[in-house]
Amino acid sequence: MTDQELARDLGFLEAYTIGLGTMIGAGIFVLPSIAAEQAGPASMISFFAGGLVSLLAAISLSELATGMPQAGGSYYYVNRALGPFFGSIVGWGMWAGLTFASAFYMIGFGQYLLPGLGQYIGFLAGWGEIGITVAALVMAALLTGVNYYGVKETGALQNVIVLTLVGLIVAFLGLGTLSGPTIGTFLPPEGWPAVAATIGTVYVTFIGFEVIATSAEEIKNPSRNLPLAMIAAVVTPTLMYVGVMFVSTGTLSIEALARSRIPVADVATEIMGPIGALAMIVGAVLATVSSANASILSAARVNFAMGRDKILINWLNEVHDRFRTPYRAISATGIITLVLIAIGVGIGTLAEVASFMYLVTYALVHIAVIVLRRADPEAYDPSFRIPSVLYPIVPILGFVACIAILLQMSFIVQAIGGVIVIFGILWYFVYARDRALSQSLLGEAIAPEPTAVADGRGQYRVVVPVANPETEQDLLRMAAASAHAHESEVAEVIAVNIIEVPQQTSLAQDITFEEARVERQQELLESARDFADALDVGLRTRAIVGRNAGSAILDVIEEEDADHVLLGWKGTRSRREHVLGSTIDPVIGHAPCDATLVKLGPEGGAEVGEIMVLAGEGPHAPVAARRATEFAKAAREDTSLTLLNVQQPGENEDGASPQKQGQAIIENLVETAGIEGMQYDSRVEIAEDIERTILTAASEYDTICVGATRSGAVSQALFGSLPETIGEQSDRTVVMARGPEESAMSVRDAIVQRLES
Amino acid sequence: MPASLFEHVLVPVASPEDAAATIRATRPYLEAIRSNVTVINVVEKAGGAPDKASVEQREDYAEEMFNVARSQMEGSDITLTTEVRYGTDVAETIIETAHEIGASAIVFTPRDGSRWVRLLTGDVALSLVSDSDLPVITLPDHD
Repeated sequence: MTDQELARDLGFLEAYTIGLGTMIGAGIFVLPSIAAEQAGPASMISFFAGGLVSLLAAISLSELATGMPQAGGSYYYVNRALGPFFGSIVGWGMWAGLTFASAFYMIGFGQYLLPGLGQYIGFLAGWGEIGITVAALVMAALLTGVNYYGVKETGALQNVIVLTLVGLIVAFLGLGTLSGPTIGTFLPPEGWPAVAATIGTVYVTFIGFEVIATSAEEIKNPSRNLPLAMIAAVVTPTLMYVGVMFVSTGTLSIEALARSRIPVADVATEIMGPIGALAMIVGAVLATVSSANASILSAARVNFAMGRDKILINWLNEVHDRFRTPYRAISATGIITLVLIAIGVGIGTLAEVASFMYLVTYALVHIAVIVLRRADPEAYDPSFRIPSVLYPIVPILGFVACIAILLQMSFIVQAIGGVIVIFGILWYFVYARDRALSQSLLGEAIAPEPTAVADGRGQYRVVVPVANPETEQDLLRMAAASAHAHESEVAEVIAVNIIEVPQQTSLAQDITFEEARVERQQELLESARDFADALDVGLRTRAIVGRNAGSAILDVIEEEDADHVLLGWKGTRSRREHVLGSTIDPVIGHAPCDATLVKLGPEGGAEVGEIMVLAGEGPHAPVAARRATEFAKAAREDTSLTLLNVQQPGENEDGASPQKQGQAIIENLVETAGIEGMQYDSRVEIAEDIERTILTAASEYDTICVGATRSGAVSQALFGSLPETIGEQSDRTVVMARGPEESAMSVRDAIVQRLES
Repeated sequence: MPASLFEHVLVPVASPEDAAATIRATRPYLEAIRSNVTVINVVEKAGGAPDKASVEQREDYAEEMFNVARSQMEGSDITLTTEVRYGTDVAETIIETAHEIGASAIVFTPRDGSRWVRLLTGDVALSLVSDSDLPVITLPDHD
């Protein structure tokens, strides 16, 4: 819909700069000192390897993000694919990772602000360790405040910052290379293991591209822009980092670099003089702030996504009524960041823990791709797929690489990371397990079988307009049957009653009459709630006063994002202005979801009994078959399910007998409807007069299910003339069904034509 | 000249409390002539930078406002139309929407707030009053 498109205001360039802004951020200015100390010039290889590992993650993430462009990024995909157990680990892991990263950026900020700018501004110098911590705390508090109050940041400002940073680094690389850096001993004394260990340290810098995935819901044309932006946002900084390490280790001695608090500025002093160094310091201050800002915002997105899946208390996600920001989530992130800065974990450890959490996350992201590919749920249809030459190599290699880096990280980092993972696991058992909405698809991936998948949020909603107390219970029972077939604990039925007020009357004109109607509405919905309790299904009621019942029902369907609407029908065609009724016509004609029309039989259809599905070749026959199985499964007493096909006598061109043809159509239907697991009887009748035969056969059953036909009949009727004739003439319960794929336009045309004729 | 300023009003709302207050204040005028009323919430976009909250989160929030608005209208024969809009400039988006739906006026109740808060969040009311080329009606909130 166009509204959805309007919400997407990030093109390739914006998505790329958001990612780049976070990636260039603090890492490039702070890490050279730590990396050089650990691995010397060979740390270039660490950065390059980190980039490769991120590239693999970016490819897997691209497929997931285009398949499920929802807020929450990696957490969302892992939770969807692997269930709330891993969802809880990754959700808490990402959140912790982002707070550790924010603290890391802020201390980097403090280092550049005080010892850095202190060289130029006397008042900033000489504050020592305490000064750095205080500066970091003040800035972190300020950023939290800015995001709490929702001070508007514009795309233009973002672009200026990122362009400035890119310009500075390109200048640094250009002048640095011209000044002729000389690399001494390439390998550190500890050899390759030190190089490998350094990947873990510097990986923090690569978590920035996750911000792109977290914003997937806002990206225009995501199938193209998202993968491109992610890959570009990984490749560009990787090359920059390798270059910066080359210049840095080639210009200063390893000892000098390792001692430096402001490595890039110190190198810049050598190659560009004090002005260059000052520019780099200003750049570093901008970069650290922009990285931390993006991290705090992303952390709140992760909280929101967890709350949406009921893994986290939704209290945390309340939106401020004035600032329209998730102020509690922002405050929580801010407070933890302040604590991390204050307890003085050490800048290297902060970076490594953030890396650790994201390596765990990406390891699970790779698994999630494989699980989703194998389980192949209906809702998963990524517009970017990992090319077949790279699948499953990319996710497998990516997973192994993440685990390998995790295993060689220092013990203290593994211990802190392990505690956070264990916290996520405990959280799952104590809080999330009984509440979480999602289910793991792992079982599906191991043994794929077709399942009923509801909308993106896993909520299957059936809307039932009720108006008549006599039919209400049966309609609700059928709606509940449909809901139960879709993961009963997250499905719900919404009973709607509409008081229609004609244009010419107003409520004031006949107040007593209206009062009676309002009372009747309350009674109807009250008894709906009683029935729902007995049927063991979640029910909500909506009482509506409107000008037109049909459009009010359509509004409800849209507001509730309903998957199925089930209406009752008296069984008589309306006067000539309408096809089936003034309310039914617009709902069946325009509902963007499954639509079912039920005419109840003489016994009120109280029991579903023996069910017959008309197994024709119509486009909606599979929907009718699915409805029939839903009713059969929900029925408590003995039911039977028969699939009937009627053929005219005579062999077809292939020489198959009518009996064989009919049988083939039935088998084909069972397969397309995905109801192979059901017990059913096949019945093929051979007769000249198909309609007559069906009507005769129908009298042997209790419930007849028939799908809409889309033949030439569509111009004559909503469901097609055959289903409507059966509905009109049979005295059994008749269920007419259609799926959402029926083009609303063609049905509308049909109605228009009908009205004109 | 339209027959009445309240013929088809556009009511922008910013929070559930705001929705309740505005609809409560507007209802008598609407019922007097059986107006058409469209309630909108504008989701503010940063236009290239990360937004201050997830779009989906703010869409849920808008839905909350619309529910409050509907319940304030309960028992009335006036049907509310609701809509979520997106834009980098809230006031501008409201005015654009008003033109698109052919509104006769934009109606809101002012929210209190210090100068400082208005400076931080942007004064939408002021921009509406000064930039709109359609009638803008501010109604007092009697609650």
